[in-house]
Order: sequence, then structure tokens, then C-alpha cells
Amino acid sequence: MGLLQEAIFGVVTGSYIAIAAIGFTLIYGIVNMINFAYGEYLTLGAFVGFFAASAVPGPLPVAVVAAMIGGGVVSIALARGFFTPINHTGPVPMLLTSIGLGIAIRNAIRLFGGRSARYIETETATFRFDAVPDVPIGSVDLLGGFFVTSEHLTVFGSAVAVFLAVHLLLTRTDVGIAMRAMGDDESLARVRGIDTQLIRDSVWVLAGVLAGLAGVLMAIQTNVSSTTGYSHILQILSAAILGGAGSPYGAIVGAYVIGLALAISTAFLPSSMTGLSSAVAFAILIAVLLVKPSGIAGTEVREA
Amino acid sequence: MVGPSFNSWCVRGCIGMPSNTNERVNRRAFLTVAGSGGIVGLSGCVSFGGGEESGGDDGSGDGSSGDGSSDDDGSGDDSTDDGSSDGGGGPDTIALGQPASLSGQWDFLQPGVSQATDAAVAHINEAGGPLDAELEVIRRDTAVDPQEARTVTTQLIENDGVPAILGLYSSEINPLWDFLQDFEVPIVTPWPGSTFLDTRGGDKATPEDLSDDEWVWRTVVGDTVHTSGSAVYALENDLDTLGVLNGTTEGERSYVEGFLSVYEDNGGTVAERVEVEIGNSSYQSALSRLFDADFDAFLVSLPQESAITALNDWSDAGYGRQPILSDPLAQQAVIDQVGSDIHGAWAGSPGQSGPSYDTFEEAYSGRDGDAEINAWTPPAWDATIVTALAIQRAGEATPEAIQRNLGPVSRDGGTEVHTFAEGKEALENGEEISYQGSATPVNFTQHGNVFGSVTISTAGENGFEATSEVPAEDIREYVAEGEY
Repeated sequence: MGLLQEAIFGVVTGSYIAIAAIGFTLIYGIVNMINFAYGEYLTLGAFVGFFAASAVPGPLPVAVVAAMIGGGVVSIALARGFFTPINHTGPVPMLLTSIGLGIAIRNAIRLFGGRSARYIETETATFRFDAVPDVPIGSVDLLGGFFVTSEHLTVFGSAVAVFLAVHLLLTRTDVGIAMRAMGDDESLARVRGIDTQLIRDSVWVLAGVLAGLAGVLMAIQTNVSSTTGYSHILQILSAAILGGAGSPYGAIVGAYVIGLALAISTAFLPSSMTGLSSAVAFAILIAVLLVKPSGIAGTEVREA
Repeated sequence: MVGPSFNSWCVRGCIGMPSNTNERVNRRAFLTVAGSGGIVGLSGCVSFGGGEESGGDDGSGDGSSGDGSSDDDGSGDDSTDDGSSDGGGGPDTIALGQPASLSGQWDFLQPGVSQATDAAVAHINEAGGPLDAELEVIRRDTAVDPQEARTVTTQLIENDGVPAILGLYSSEINPLWDFLQDFEVPIVTPWPGSTFLDTRGGDKATPEDLSDDEWVWRTVVGDTVHTSGSAVYALENDLDTLGVLNGTTEGERSYVEGFLSVYEDNGGTVAERVEVEIGNSSYQSALSRLFDADFDAFLVSLPQESAITALNDWSDAGYGRQPILSDPLAQQAVIDQVGSDIHGAWAGSPGQSGPSYDTFEEAYSGRDGDAEINAWTPPAWDATIVTALAIQRAGEATPEAIQRNLGPVSRDGGTEVHTFAEGKEALENGEEISYQGSATPVNFTQHGNVFGSVTISTAGENGFEATSEVPAEDIREYVAEGEY
């Protein structure tokens, strides 16, 4: 296989991460908290999608939509129940609350959701492009035959749709523009008449919808279990940091950098080191932050 | 509403303008907190894997009162009399401890082991129990997490006062080896296949001398045995070149090392080996690398959920070739999720056809619960029976006494017994016994290991079905005497 094929794998992995990382970074940017329970939002979305797929004998997109709606509802409910009441306490108490909430949700899912992994039944088609010529440079083939599956296309297509939707939301709608205003200066936004609580709620819903989507896509690719989201939270967090915390653009870039690093390091590390691909991704994160502490897209956030 | 001064998507102060919101965190604080949280999460301190206790009936139906299993909370050591039979007054109850995988990635294997243990306890108690006491099992969840296993083992020994432990995986025993030895409580476990235990454990063939003992015994054949059997079978079927895809945990590596040791020593060649982290959302990159190499078959050693993801990726990519699976993957769920492409894949598992398998199966199927019998289920029965027989022979239920008697009740030379009742009767008649187990004959080696045949199970439309058997004696020639 050539580098092109590895890049496709990396882009697919990056797409999962990007969808979730946008929601994560929006919460950080606007609600001003690091939500370590965010992985559980993905898990809950995956479970909603699974139950929807099981209960409704309809096409898979119905389950995906159900997961997105479920994710949004769960997110706003948890925010109203646990985060909004302590909004005034600052980011650190909210962070600690999110860690505790994440543990509680994870164990509750395990308790009530059962011990076994569940699987969403899908049919996967594979499209091959074997006629692509090899372009070898040294031992590396830049092109060469490759394949994509319908799952790959679904994930990438979903990610592109999310990028466009979020872009339009933030640049073309009053709610989105208000979100950006709050992200820049909440007090000034409030003075200008923006209902900041409404905007916070909107962010929670949006982040939940994105988590639900990412969760159900991961579930389709792997399975549904209490750790579906938790096992990816470090990658999501890393994408957000790498891209520049608070920046959806940056989160997208960061996610694809991590996805590509995971794929390419697995392909090209020495045989005895292939299990260290995640370490390579995190090494890149550290290297980028050393050179550009604000992340790829951002400018360093300063305390007032 | 808001002017175009918001110059990017950056919704959180990214334009560099100092904010007057004093509750904002700066980037350094963010990174510090996030990094700390990540480290805490990675270290397992906020992991969900541990801390949950489970009673004796979890996963096993009715394993609590009626058959002696207990969900005792571990307060105090009142659940176990120390078993001293001196003076004619034996204990009323004897409680054994069972660390269990009631949750975590191996939880799908626990129901069968719990059911087998509970069946054995009921079988023993129906025969009057060891030393005429009622046998109980206190079962606690470790999630196969070494830290949790440390806590659970300590609770069982220190709080519950159990004289023997009937569990623990390789992933728990190996990192806790010195810690467990310090307790000097026998661990008779149906789980571990690790080659680490090949020369560790047992009484070193000197039952009365505890000074050279190591306190672990396993009633399941080690990876060395059944991976040898699998490797022999692969070579016999002209699968001379191999690709390997394995996880990075102890169990997966151990399986592969055992397989390759015999495979390469006998002419097989490994064309490529790729190690992967478990729990990934995709294994396509690893598979792409693996299948760039030329080989006849590929060996997969991963936990079930990761293996299903990897095998689905393999199926989607249409790589083909002969899959060989590690024994935990010989499960119906693998076929259900991967589909017909996996038909023809085979796995070599410890044989389940010891001399008293029928006795086990009858008792097992008579229990409430419908857990599937797997490779660890008959060994769980054997672990319980042989421990109870050791107590019976010792005349007391203390760790030292059990340790001294595990070898003598199992090894060749005495009256062959197939049930606890037969063994108890023979011991009461002053005879020496040799317990004949359900998974293997349970002739403990000097290192506390057992030896048995290997069953080759092949995936097909009706699930994994036994298609071949590699006899124990054929495998013996690949496993040096004294090194297992």
C-alpha cells in the first residue's frame, strides 16, 4: 500500500476526532470549561443510535439523527443539572465536576447498559482503485492502488457536512455570531444585549449534537460500550489543544494532524514500535506546542 | 448585532485582545489542568475499572446462599473459621476467595467460570464439604485491572481471611508476583496462560518444604502448551509463513511469543509482525502494513472487541488469507459480527476433555444460568475441586496446609478419583488420591502447571466447532521437561 492509502485511513480517523473536537472546543471557548465528561456524551450518543437502530426498522440515517438529537438533549440536560448552577465558580471547579460526572456516567452506563459490547448492523461496500500507478520515492510509494469503503465515505462526508454547517452557523446566523462575540468577551456581549445564558445553552446543545454524531459513527465502525467515547477523549482533547483551544478551525486541523500521524506512524515505524503510534501523535502535539504554544490556529489566550 | 471584528472562527479570545473577564483561564492554565487531568486519567486514578465489588451471585445466577457462594462484604474474617480440626471441632464454613472479571474487557468470559465454580461448590457441599464444613466462595470484581486485583486480593486475604484464592489472570499475577508471594496464600487459578508462569509457581515437587514454594497453581494449560499445539497444527497444514497482528498487553504478547517459539523452531517463518493498541476505532493502517508482506496465514491475538474491529477492517479490505485466532476469540460473537469471511478461521484452545469432563458437564448444565462453556470453564471446576481435596487431605483449612497438599492430591500415584465425594471417601479411608480433572488430568508439575491436549476449533456457519485435536503427547516433545 502506498502513502495515499495511509492518508485515506488517517483522514477517516481524523474525521471522527474532528467532529467531536469541534464540540469540545466550542464548550471551552464559550462556556469556558474543559469538559472531561465529553467522552461520555459520545457514548450516550452511541447508545441512543444503537437503540434507535434496533427499535426502528428504518435506514441507518434515522439512527444517526436520533443519536444527534439524543446527544443534544443529554448535553443540555447535564449542563442544566450540573454545570449551569456552578457557572460562577470558575473553570477549575467545573473541570473537576466534569471529571466526577464523567466517572459517574460511565459507571452508570456500565451498570444499566450491561457488560457486553453491542454492534450496529451495517453493510459495507468497498470501492477499489487498483489502476492508480505507483510513484515510488525510495522505499515509499506515494500513490499506488487504494480502496475506500462506504463507511469511510460516510464518516468523511459527515465530517465535511459538519464543517460546513458549523461554519455557516458561526458566520451567517445571529446565534453563531453571538457565540463568537461571547467567546471574545462575554461581558461586552452581555452589554450589547446578548442573552448569554441562551447562547451557553445553544453551545451545549450544539456540542451534544456533534458528540452524538461522532459517537454513533464510532459505534458503526467499532461497537457500543461504556468506553466508546472515553477511549477517544485524549485524542479529542489533543486535537483541540493542538489546533488552538477554542478554535473550531484549529480543532479540525489538529484532528487531521493526529489522524494522519496515527496512520502514517503505524505504517512506517519499525516493526517493534508499531504499538507506539499514539505516542508519536502525542509527541507531535508536544513539539507543536513547544514551537507555537497557542496551537496551530490560535493566538495565546491571555488572562485579563 | 456583532460586527466583523471577529476575525476568525476562533470563538474564545483568539484574536489576542486582552479580555476583561477575570474568570478566564489562560492557555498555560488550560494546558496544566488538561495535562494533569490526562495524566490522572491515564494513570487509572479516575478509571472506572476498579472499585466495584461484586457478590458471589453476580453473573452466576443463584450462586449465593444455597450453594455456598457468598456476597459477603468482607468485613472481618468471620466468614472463615481457620479450619483447624484439632480437638475434633472442624470449621462450620470454609470460604475461598475468587477475584473475578465481572466487568472490563474480559467480562464475557466470567459467567462460565462463575457458573462452573458455583457448580463445583454445590457438588462439594452435596458430598458433605471439606472437613464436613460448608464451602463458600467470596467473589469480587477486579475488572482484570492489576491495581484493583491488588486491592481485592488484600481484602480477601486480610479481611475475609480466605485460606486460598481461586482466580487472577496473567495480567494481574505477573505484575503483582512479589506482592502475591508475600501473602503466602495459595492461588489456584483457571485463568492464566502466560509463559511467565511456566517456571514460576508450585511446590517444586517438595510438598512438605514450603521454603522453595511459589504460591501460584494453574488448572488451565499454559500458553506454551496450547500455542505449541496451534503452531504444530499450522505447520502440519503447510502454513509455513506467518503474519502476526497482536495487542500490546501481557496476555496477547504471551500468546504470540508462545506460538512463535515453537513455530519458528520448527521451520516456520514470520514475514511481518505488527503490534497495535487495543480499543482503536480502526486497524486499517496496521492491516495495510501487515498485508504488504507475503505469508500463508495471519495470527490475530487481540481482545475480542478490538479483534472484531480489526477483522471487520480485514473483511472490508478483502485481504483474504488464512486467519488463525488466539483462543479467546473462538466465540460466536466474532462470527456474528465479522460474517462469512471469517469462516475457516481456526483457534487452538486448551482441550476440554479431561477424565471427569462428563461429571463436570452434568453438574454445570444442572445449574441455573446458561453461560457458554469456554476454555476456562472446566479449569474453574478443577480449581475448586482440587483445592477442596487439598483441604480435606490436610485436615485443616490454612494456607500452608493447602499449599502442602495441592500436589499430593493431584499427582499420579494414588487412587484415581473423579469427584470430590470419591476423593473425600478415599482420603477418609487413609488412601492417597490422584484427582482426575475435567479439563486435564490435573497432574501438577513442579511449577504448578498442568498439561493437556489442544482442541482446534474452526469457524463455520454453526459457530466454532471442534475439528481436530492435537494430543498432549504430541505437544510434549516441544515442551522441555522442567521448563513447564
